[in-house]
Amino acid sequence: MRSKLNYLIGVSLKRKVKTKWFLVANIIIALVVVGIINIDSIITFFGGDFDDAQKVYVIDDTDRAYNILAEQLNASSLQIVDSEESAFEVTKYDDADKINDLIEEDKDIIVIHLEEKEEKGLTAKITSQSFIDTMDYQLITNALTNTKVSLNILDSNISIEDFNKIYDPIEIEREILNENEKSEDENTNMIMTTVFPVIILPFFMLSIFLVQMIGAEVNDEKTTRGMEIIISNVSPKTHFFSKVIAGNLFVLIQGILLVAYAGIGFAIRNMVGGNSIVNGLGSEVGDILNQIMNSNLGSQLIYIIPMILILMILTFIAYSLLAGVLASMTTNTEDFQQLQTPIMIISLVGYYLAMMASVFDGALFIKIFAFVPFISAILAPSLLILGQIGIIETIIAGFIMVATNYVLIKYGMRIYKVGILNYSSKGLWKKMFKAARKSE
Amino acid sequence: MLKVDKITKYYDDFKAVDNLSFTVKPGEIFGLLGVNGAGKTTTFRMIMGLLEPSSGNVTLDGKKIDYSVTDQIGFLTEERSLLTKMTVKEQCLFYGTLKGMSDNDILAKLDNLLERFGISEYKDKKIKELSKGNQQKIQFITALINDPKLLILDEPFSGLDPINIELFKEMILEMANKGSMIIFSSHQMNHVELFCKKIVVMLRGKAVIDGYISDIKEQYRKKNILIKGDIAKSELEKIDGVLEVTEKSDEFEVKIESIDSVEKVFKSVSKHKNITKFVVEEPSLNEIFVAKVGEAYEK
Repeated sequence: MRSKLNYLIGVSLKRKVKTKWFLVANIIIALVVVGIINIDSIITFFGGDFDDAQKVYVIDDTDRAYNILAEQLNASSLQIVDSEESAFEVTKYDDADKINDLIEEDKDIIVIHLEEKEEKGLTAKITSQSFIDTMDYQLITNALTNTKVSLNILDSNISIEDFNKIYDPIEIEREILNENEKSEDENTNMIMTTVFPVIILPFFMLSIFLVQMIGAEVNDEKTTRGMEIIISNVSPKTHFFSKVIAGNLFVLIQGILLVAYAGIGFAIRNMVGGNSIVNGLGSEVGDILNQIMNSNLGSQLIYIIPMILILMILTFIAYSLLAGVLASMTTNTEDFQQLQTPIMIISLVGYYLAMMASVFDGALFIKIFAFVPFISAILAPSLLILGQIGIIETIIAGFIMVATNYVLIKYGMRIYKVGILNYSSKGLWKKMFKAARKSE
Repeated sequence: MLKVDKITKYYDDFKAVDNLSFTVKPGEIFGLLGVNGAGKTTTFRMIMGLLEPSSGNVTLDGKKIDYSVTDQIGFLTEERSLLTKMTVKEQCLFYGTLKGMSDNDILAKLDNLLERFGISEYKDKKIKELSKGNQQKIQFITALINDPKLLILDEPFSGLDPINIELFKEMILEMANKGSMIIFSSHQMNHVELFCKKIVVMLRGKAVIDGYISDIKEQYRKKNILIKGDIAKSELEKIDGVLEVTEKSDEFEVKIESIDSVEKVFKSVSKHKNITKFVVEEPSLNEIFVAKVGEAYEK
């Protein structure tokens, strides 16, 4: 005879996965994931210039400012990590009367007309067809200011040696007294602050899927009174765990599918770019990965990744246990939606705290939040990577999640047993607290 | 044999079932009756093992009912307990498997039952697409697909037309003939009277009527006399021992306080000519139910 637990898990999974809505939702998710990974190619396809450097034409009436300005603009970069790619492609142009014709030919270009006036020094006129991107405009303004300063220094008759000294980058010797922190990790921290929220977004998304799935199923069985028949044949414990296991298996399947969609996205990017697989990830992603691997963090990933995964799995289990208990207490889907809202808000708070973790560097309250169940899976890894908490604290956060799951199983099971056959919302909390206190 | 032995169930301070006892033997159809909130659902849940009695116990063939014996029980709830997004086939496979049956057994039984109910074409249809009556048939099929030793039927005729009620009756009697113990609950007393030899009528958790229907009717002293002939209603009402006279088409239904009053009524009526009908009738179960429950209600 087949196991009723396995059978219930199979039915639950089938009810979720073998639906047209699962198919439709996954087609949309796949398109979004693949689209985001290839967003630059899509923009280029529709006539955008996402990858291309901004073309800048310079008309230099001073006969001496172009080289300095071009050097300044070429040194400008919009990348998170150091990159040799410049944000601008600078070209010298001579005919000031044909600026409008030039823009007419290529509407995306920017034309800078440099002049020198006795009382003001270097002046510039910037012409474009429409608005200039804010970042580009700022970089151009900075480059022009630097060019003006350079010209004025040159005019003050200082020697070449002195001039070079002014422009030589300052030599900085960085010393961090904490032996566990390497100076090159400072940049990695900055990268992780930007990158980590992107990595944890699927976790956040999957936890919402999980809660919704379990809630909807338990409520469906309750509202149709099918629960009476089910519970008369299998124990509430078996039923509860079948929902929890099926929910987590569903999350696993959906997680694997998300990774597969990302893989497809990168494969398409590779095909479109014609690069090797590694380069196909995109130069920015490649640069970020290289920087992480070369930093202190790279060597720590061997235990950080398993710890993050364990913490996430424990949190998924906690979410599914809580969703099952809450769903058993409610009598319809609307009530469940309302009851699960606070959980979602707590999770959202965790997500935003993780994104802003570097802002709260050293703050005690954010460290405390790293131990709070349901938030810890998002926040603790983020703080660990940023070096704000250590491995011990992360392990403690894991143990707190284990304890949370134990409490949820012990007391949640008692509530579930009473809740699934309760169809009245009258005195609900009283009934549930009473059930939780009552031992088997 | 199902033995319900002095079960009591408390919800906090509220006593939902109070010292209830009865037995159901193989092949017997037992009626568990009561007004809404009388404690029938709580009793069913205790029989199914879904609720633990505060005191007393329920045994099936001498064994406490737990998940090791629920495979031998069929349960049809008062409200639809079908998962409406499933097809008929999926639903029967689902409940059948939970009863420990193999897919092959379920499908073979299902085909047979669908054919008997004349709904074979709905096998792959979703439950939600079926009419109320057809959903009830599916619910009935899921309750007896495992050939249960104990079959609990809570309002089985709900939503059915008279033809299908006959079909259900036939199936229920067939199950009883095969040796199943059947507990039957209905607000339609004529159905109960037709099926059950033994009943318990519950009120506020207590059994107010309990035993074989024939004994209950015998003990219930009030009788009815049907009279047809040239006699005035007012004259009948004046007879000592007559409680109520109701005019029904071309005859009178005379309620008397006990069998002892029959003679007095007969003497009075026989003075009149053209009396074509004088029948002393057993009271209906419905009448006993209303009288007993109403009496207890007032207390």
